[in-house]
Amino acid sequence: MDKALKTAIHYLWDHQNESSHAQKAFTESLKRAGTVLADGTLNLASITDENDRWAIFRGLVNVRDSYQPSEEYLMAEGAVLQAKLGSAATPVLWQESQLNQRIFLWQGDITRLKVDAIVNAANKDGLGCFIPNHHCIDNTIHTMAGAQVRTDMALALNGRKLPVGKVIVTKAYNLPAKFIFHTVGPVIYKEPVSKMNQDLLASCYLNSLKEADARGLSTIAFCSISTGEFHFPKALARDIAIQTVQDYLKETDSSLQVVFNVFLDEDLALYQKVLIN
Amino acid sequence: MRKLANYLWVEQNEDEFTFIMTPELQDDIGTVGYVEFIANDGDQIEKDQAILNLEASKTVLELQAPLAGTITAINKAAEEAPEQLNSEKAEASWVYKMTGVDQAAYDQLPEA
Repeated sequence: MDKALKTAIHYLWDHQNESSHAQKAFTESLKRAGTVLADGTLNLASITDENDRWAIFRGLVNVRDSYQPSEEYLMAEGAVLQAKLGSAATPVLWQESQLNQRIFLWQGDITRLKVDAIVNAANKDGLGCFIPNHHCIDNTIHTMAGAQVRTDMALALNGRKLPVGKVIVTKAYNLPAKFIFHTVGPVIYKEPVSKMNQDLLASCYLNSLKEADARGLSTIAFCSISTGEFHFPKALARDIAIQTVQDYLKETDSSLQVVFNVFLDEDLALYQKVLIN
Repeated sequence: MRKLANYLWVEQNEDEFTFIMTPELQDDIGTVGYVEFIANDGDQIEKDQAILNLEASKTVLELQAPLAGTITAINKAAEEAPEQLNSEKAEASWVYKMTGVDQAAYDQLPEA
């Protein structure tokens, strides 16, 4: 078994916190699967499937507390993630919009994008997703960037929540991007969507664009904020996203290049309708 | 008569202006569980300056000042009992009072 992965898994396992609900639940699932030995250590030798080993690593990363990981762990984690990440998606792969030559569309995994900043659809706790192996964008970005992101967010938030529409920046560590912009979109409980929630979604985009320019960045990639588990209607969210970016590029002297990153075919079709024709 | 700006009602009584939670805002955020008054009594506030952090059942929100002026009163009772910001009574669900407001700036706000 890969030495780096083994080192990372054992480190995370040894730094579990008995009072953490997420960690207890994940440990129980590993016990049920027969992965935990009687002395409380992990029986990794019994896991022969590469995907199963990855899932144990990812699950432990997802449920971990926001302590500062050791240098040794970060080295091992870096080796694991670099092997997993593969090649980056550079501008030659992006589709240029007919609306504005600085707006692009790209379908794929946002963690592969080589841009200055990717925007993460975070939640109000700002610490990433704690559900083991959950395939939401927050979980994917935190996992693939590395454990340091949660630690950095905990330091930046200092016990506070992340208000909707605001942005907190961390480094992107193992990703091809330089920075992660963590923003929280509004959660929609009923339609029609209120003016405030429409404004708040626009704020996610606007504050990210301003932050990118304040840092002198050249490229930023947005995911479809709020449209997944936050239930913002997709077509309206797309219209707000594109309008906010277009207005910003028109009304400021910004030279940013903006990528709309979609993951699902349904979202690709929605954005193509407006951006590409 | 009340005005509406930055999702808050603004009510004028002579030279004093009170910011009050609106039913739409209460509905959007759900039950308030925690309130942090960012501005202090006597502070000079710019329009759109952050004045309030709310943690509620549906969201976490920062609210900005609807007008520029000087803070003269803060609904500190809401720190102990945040759910009173969900009240339909303005005497419970107000957040700040302000003086030194430009009357023309107030008059230009949309009516509630």
